[in-house]
Amino acid sequence: MITFDKVSKRYGKSHDALAEVSFEIGAGEMVFVTGHSGAGKSTLLKLIGLVERPTRGQIVVNHHALAGVRRRGIPQVRRGIGMVFQDHRLLTDRTVFDNIALPLIIAGAAREEIGKRVRAALDKVGLLAKERESPLTLSAGEQQRVGIARAIVGKPPVIIADEPTGNLDPQLSGEIMDLFAEFGAVGTTVLVASHDLHLIKRIARRVLVLDHGRLIDDFRPA
Amino acid sequence: MNARRQAERNARKPAPPSSTAAPEPRRAPTPVRARLGAWRDHHFYGFFSSLGRLAARPWATALTVLMLGFALALPLLFYIAFDNARALSGGLREAREVTVFLKRAVESAAADAFAAELRKRADVAGVSIKTPQQGLAEFRQLSGFGEALDILKDNPLPTVLIVTPRTPGLQEERDPSIVGELGADARVDLVQYDATWRRRLSDILALAERAVVVLAALLALATLLVIGNTIRADVQSRADEIAVMQLIGAGSGFVRRPFLYAGLWYGLLGGAIAVVVAIGAETAMAGPLDRLLASYDHTLALRGLDAASAVIVVLAGALLGWIGAFVATARHMAAGHPD
Repeated sequence: MITFDKVSKRYGKSHDALAEVSFEIGAGEMVFVTGHSGAGKSTLLKLIGLVERPTRGQIVVNHHALAGVRRRGIPQVRRGIGMVFQDHRLLTDRTVFDNIALPLIIAGAAREEIGKRVRAALDKVGLLAKERESPLTLSAGEQQRVGIARAIVGKPPVIIADEPTGNLDPQLSGEIMDLFAEFGAVGTTVLVASHDLHLIKRIARRVLVLDHGRLIDDFRPA
Repeated sequence: MNARRQAERNARKPAPPSSTAAPEPRRAPTPVRARLGAWRDHHFYGFFSSLGRLAARPWATALTVLMLGFALALPLLFYIAFDNARALSGGLREAREVTVFLKRAVESAAADAFAAELRKRADVAGVSIKTPQQGLAEFRQLSGFGEALDILKDNPLPTVLIVTPRTPGLQEERDPSIVGELGADARVDLVQYDATWRRRLSDILALAERAVVVLAALLALATLLVIGNTIRADVQSRADEIAVMQLIGAGSGFVRRPFLYAGLWYGLLGGAIAVVVAIGAETAMAGPLDRLLASYDHTLALRGLDAASAVIVVLAGALLGWIGAFVATARHMAAGHPD
């Protein structure tokens, strides 16, 4: 579902954020990307979401060869990828419901459909009662759950999350990670960047380890 | 609860990977109706979210709209003034008679003969004779010098022939040839034909018309800039929101549409304010103007703003707003989508 073939990303003249990274992630797999800060985790996710373009190498996401995707084609590719951010990036001037509905509105879903699917997504993250509230009135953990609901509401085949538990305490972090693991179990490809090794160990999934832009380990638990 | 969750989870199980290249809402074979529905929903979204944004900051919106209204009202008022001037001059322009003052020596019988001679000409549409007696009576009535005129022993006025030339077109640039011929005639004392003056008047009107166009163009440009700048500031204050929308798959059109609608609203409301301002100014000036026009024998009436012009101003405002917003948003949209 996600293939990197000798992908490098260089910023400026000499800073290699990623160097010759190759890996393959199958459909329905859940994979962690870890490494020290600045190891290239965020860059890797940005390349998948077409936020950045690689300097060299080929990336295939969801059957799209990203090198062949022109500017106008980017939104179409992104609609197949649910993105979760460390700071959740919710729109504070609208309700929880409207935030989650946005990807469906963008994709042009029918209105009757939107209500059903938003509530299904809210139910999944356990926030069905909060749909009319503003994201500002929610706790940090709840805000991140809304961010996740927004990422999954369009049923994308791929979900990527950049440090989704970075701002949460250990217990909330565990709950959030369990949610991601659940999505992996129903056939969605999930890629989570995290430096929380305890959590990664507990979930026990495949782990890609980055160090100074190089892939130094691709660990699969037995 | 658990059963429901399970059922729902099954329902959202993605299709086999080989067939899914994009999320379902887009991918499912889209019949034309569904696409039309999506298109309509997108426009509804832009329409209402733009209105919501304007309503969320009523004062800023009101100030912008008022500024636009006054900017658009100015050319509109000039246009109304010009339109009236043109209507006023219309009567003058059509007065094409040549006034021929005969020498006093020409007797009335000779004058009748001269008139008959002129009537036979192909380039003369008609001739009327004003005898010295008629002229004196008219002068007495108009000048108010009735008693003073009684002192005169004899009538000092000549016989006057009023000749209406037959000209091929109204836009006659040169004087009809008959004017020169009449001036050369031995029986004629003076020929009065105000062609020069009339031409000057129409030149002045043409200049005024051009001035209205230039002013309208300048103020339209100002409107464009005001709306463009307002939208640009709006785009900047929403940069984060735009970035998020682009990350979750919004295309340029989707991000841009609410701003375009906002520009449309600014222009539309500004145009409406302009019409209100113009009607207000018109009403304020109507009293004195009517009195002035009444002194011209009630043959002239004030021409107000007609419905068609009002509609045009409002629509032009809307169009300017849309264009302004389009230009203002163009640069920002490319940012979230790297080549």
